[in-house]
Amino acid sequence: MSRGGGRGNRRGGHRFDRGGDQRLREAKDEQYQLIDDSSEIIKTFKQFALQLDAKHDRHERIVKLSRDVTIESKRIIFLIHTINSSNDSKKEQILDQANFRLKQVEANLFQAIAQELVGEDPHQFLRAFSAGLQEYIEAKTFYQFMVSASIPHWNEIQKDLTYAQEATEEGAEASEILTPVLPTEYMLGVGDLTGELMRRCINCVGMGELDACKQLCGFLRQVYRIFAGFDTFGYKEFGRKTYVMRQSLAKTENVCYTIQVRGSEVPKHLLAQAIHMSMDNPEEDEGFY
Amino acid sequence: MIMQNVHQNPAQDEVLKCCNSSRANFATCKTHYAQLAALVPVNQFYHFNDMWRFATQKLAFLVSLTFFLETGKLASFEEVAESLGLKPEREKGFHLDLEDYLTGLLQMASELARFATNSVTSGNYDRPIEISKFVSELNAGFRLLNLKNDSLRKKFDALKYDVKKIEEIVYDVSIRGLRPAAGNADQAGN
Repeated sequence: MSRGGGRGNRRGGHRFDRGGDQRLREAKDEQYQLIDDSSEIIKTFKQFALQLDAKHDRHERIVKLSRDVTIESKRIIFLIHTINSSNDSKKEQILDQANFRLKQVEANLFQAIAQELVGEDPHQFLRAFSAGLQEYIEAKTFYQFMVSASIPHWNEIQKDLTYAQEATEEGAEASEILTPVLPTEYMLGVGDLTGELMRRCINCVGMGELDACKQLCGFLRQVYRIFAGFDTFGYKEFGRKTYVMRQSLAKTENVCYTIQVRGSEVPKHLLAQAIHMSMDNPEEDEGFY
Repeated sequence: MIMQNVHQNPAQDEVLKCCNSSRANFATCKTHYAQLAALVPVNQFYHFNDMWRFATQKLAFLVSLTFFLETGKLASFEEVAESLGLKPEREKGFHLDLEDYLTGLLQMASELARFATNSVTSGNYDRPIEISKFVSELNAGFRLLNLKNDSLRKKFDALKYDVKKIEEIVYDVSIRGLRPAAGNADQAGN
């Protein structure tokens, strides 16, 4: 039957890919016709099926968008990591490019998500876009930190993800749609940011940027202090992130310590090696990018 | 708990008494849901709904079971919502989630499988046949749904075992000649 061809079209192991399988849908439609139509129960269940399908399809569309957001955000973060501070013109260029790409993500992907969420309770689909949103917040705050050594409030990030809808011809008023930036998502994104800042710190040592290391360490300490104060009942994520953050902070502090203690005795370019040898833990892999 | 009494004494009038007391309790549920609705801010239903999801599913199950025992028919989504004091649609306020309603129906099917067994034990031989017809229609309906691999799907997979059990009961009853004559069976089934 058409099932065989359908299966070949699907990407391997990709159990979310229902929407693209047109022939399977047509086969199912035939199946609907064959069942006895007259029963009340059957009629109501057909309605239910439509409702559930609509909800699942929406969920899947948001998941796809969210994955694109995640990939692009991770690439932007990598881009920002390539900044070699001693070469300022390059830094400007890289930051501009990062900003441009962030704006692209906002304008295209998040707007599409906002469209999907019109008229729906966003919490119902939160799990679909949560990962993408956190990754994006990580990228955005990292960018902002490189520009101004501070991170934006979530209300500011929300503004970037709010889109004006013009009044339509049918007389609907001009309104705003948005992808909600929940404070919890923001905080989890900042938690991830600490991991990136730790990497930056270590890169800085390799490049001889010792002041930047101290600055990063101080910032990281502040963030950790706040996270350590949270009561994480009901949100396991926070507990995990706090634990990872503590490790990142410990590494950063070790770096600063090593700079302080051995900075005078070892030439700068060998300092990086010295630090690497003093750290035991391999870094976690964050997944595909 | 009240509904568990129907297993003990499945004579029709006893059953109806249980149903009436349940209905009284459903009215209490209405006030509780109203209080809950007052606490939850608008548009944040799904933010908090995991807290009461289990209770809602159980209540949906009880309402549909009561309804079936009273009328032999499937309680519609709107009827269940109304019995519990919930709106059927999200736009109208604190609402009954479709998936909770469906989970309740599946729980009802399991309960009916048990009920069928007990009916036969107490000598009521045409009720299992009614139940069998009802549950297989339910099964046919559920087969039309495209389910994700979530808890609803798992419960739906359990439904076929309930169907099987009920059919075995009907088989046991028929093969021993305990089944009422064909004319009676049609009346009982309708």
